[in-house]
Amino acid sequence: MTHASARSRVPAHWLLVALPATVLLVFFVLPNALLLSASFLKSEAQQLTTQTTLDNYRFLFTRPLYLEVFLRTFVVGISVGVVDIVLGFPLAYFLVRTRSRWKGLLIALSLAPLLASVVVRTYGWYIILNRFGVANDVLLGIGIIENRIAFMPSTGAIIVGLAHALLPYTVLSIMGSLNGINPNLESAAMSLGANRIRTFFHVILPLSLPGIAGGFLLVFSIAISAYATPAILGGPATQVAATAIYSFIIQLLDWSLGAALAVVLIVSSLLLLYAAARLGARRAAL
Amino acid sequence: MDSDATSPGEIDRREFIRRASAAAVAGLSAPYVWSQRTEETLVVNSFGGEYQELFEKAVIRPFEKKFGVKVVHDATGTSSQDYAKIRASKGAPGFDVAAALSPPEVVLGAKEGLLEKITEQEVPNLKFTWEKARKSLPPNAVMHTLQFDSLLYNKDKLDKPTSWADYWQPEKRYGAKVKGHVINYNPANLLSVFALIHAAELGGGGTSNMDPAWALLKSQKPYVGVIVTTSAEAAPHFESGEVWLSPYWSARAGYYISRGIPYGMIVPKEGVIANIDAAAVPVGAKNKKLAYEFINFMLDPATQRDWCIAYFCSPGRGDIKDWPKGFADSQIVTNQQFDSVRLPDLDAIGTNRRDWTLRWQEIMG
Repeated sequence: MTHASARSRVPAHWLLVALPATVLLVFFVLPNALLLSASFLKSEAQQLTTQTTLDNYRFLFTRPLYLEVFLRTFVVGISVGVVDIVLGFPLAYFLVRTRSRWKGLLIALSLAPLLASVVVRTYGWYIILNRFGVANDVLLGIGIIENRIAFMPSTGAIIVGLAHALLPYTVLSIMGSLNGINPNLESAAMSLGANRIRTFFHVILPLSLPGIAGGFLLVFSIAISAYATPAILGGPATQVAATAIYSFIIQLLDWSLGAALAVVLIVSSLLLLYAAARLGARRAAL
Repeated sequence: MDSDATSPGEIDRREFIRRASAAAVAGLSAPYVWSQRTEETLVVNSFGGEYQELFEKAVIRPFEKKFGVKVVHDATGTSSQDYAKIRASKGAPGFDVAAALSPPEVVLGAKEGLLEKITEQEVPNLKFTWEKARKSLPPNAVMHTLQFDSLLYNKDKLDKPTSWADYWQPEKRYGAKVKGHVINYNPANLLSVFALIHAAELGGGGTSNMDPAWALLKSQKPYVGVIVTTSAEAAPHFESGEVWLSPYWSARAGYYISRGIPYGMIVPKEGVIANIDAAAVPVGAKNKKLAYEFINFMLDPATQRDWCIAYFCSPGRGDIKDWPKGFADSQIVTNQQFDSVRLPDLDAIGTNRRDWTLRWQEIMG
């Protein structure tokens, strides 16, 4: 076989990669390249011109409103990640270690929120949190508050709604890690004199860190790009990056600012994820 | 080595490219194949929500019956969302008629060359539409109905307001009890833009000087309990009794009042600004001939009468005489009435809307 003929052959299994790669290229890389180019174009009276400019980025980085939008977006992402890890870890631990014959059903129940549309789940929170909602009625009824409180629109409401919607992802990720831990390690630690708390902090927690980190990154990346929940629970005055991008592109028809905001969101989240992955790799190596 | 020598697990590069291309083309064209439609199918994008059924009953079903065609009703999207689809698809959004565009989107569509020009040749009823409306819009859309920004108030909670100042300075008129019961809209909704223009004018400004509006917005903020973008989003807050005072499109206000909510609608003493509902044909529409027939049908006197009565709006033409008495009293139905209507300054809105929205966000955020 000559070099030329060897190069002209393509392993058939490449076909398996070709279709998803084509889809990714056409529907992700290409639109994002267009987005990137639009972010350097000037808009005048809602129309995209061919004039190149850095004004869109300058505008976003000099207006406190948009710095707040970015800050709120990342506060939401980090808070949702932390809340879901704190809530998801005990649940995952219980689901992995329980010997109940209902274990399968319990796992299915804990993942059941994934079966309902995020819009439906978010409207559930809307009914609870609005000024005339269930939470206010209960608090007024038992005398904790005298006047109704506006729980929403607010950043807190967005965090609550997203934390509920994304909890199953952290449970799944942590369960994967906990399942991989040999139960004998726990027994060995306790037979050597460690109590349950010490065993947890020195054996279980370090070994489940990859699952915790994976769950956090997954939830964080979904939360910072979420649209429906922030739009419903945050409203037009409590914007995060996704709702601000929507507002620019769909409502104000200002594509260049919307594109610049999207580019900043993508780049900053990629950088954060890269940093987190590097940190995770270093800890794993240690 | 020639191609015959290719091992069972390998294919040559040409074959690879051929198969990959075929797979990609098949995958990408599938949606178009599935959405294949006949010559006699028309896709109309128009009113959704509570108006979907009314529009279908008053306009779409009679059109289907008269022309023996099938109309697919796309009831999704606001005016700006519909235009965003037209722009993103370079004029081929998948619908043949954009029947619920507002003037700023029509102006953009004309500038960007994404909406067809419409003349009396395509739409003979165009000659019967309000002359002032024809002059105010680019020739790329046809006005079919009219409404205005009224002031809606809860009759059980508040005395009847008389001025836009009652909305912008609610504490002066109604005191502390109104706190949390005023609604404000994002300027992505034209209703908010009009209300802000009224606020600017209350303080001696206008579209060229919006500073008085921002001052009033700041002072009103502590009294605002609900902030939404679309008019439809506001409706549940009226039904729950949470919102007592709101600018609102006259058509929607009339509709909800007729359904029994305890609200009243007034025209403030400073006047109102009219909002034109317009129909247009995107340049990439598949069935333009039928699209023009549909727009012409929307302007027929019988259709206008049925739709306007159902929608609580004013018609697109002034030569219809057989309006019900009560309806004619509350709408703009004569040329004389229409001449007194104030139409929005579209150039100023188009140029400044983004900055106004950003300013609004800075104050309300």
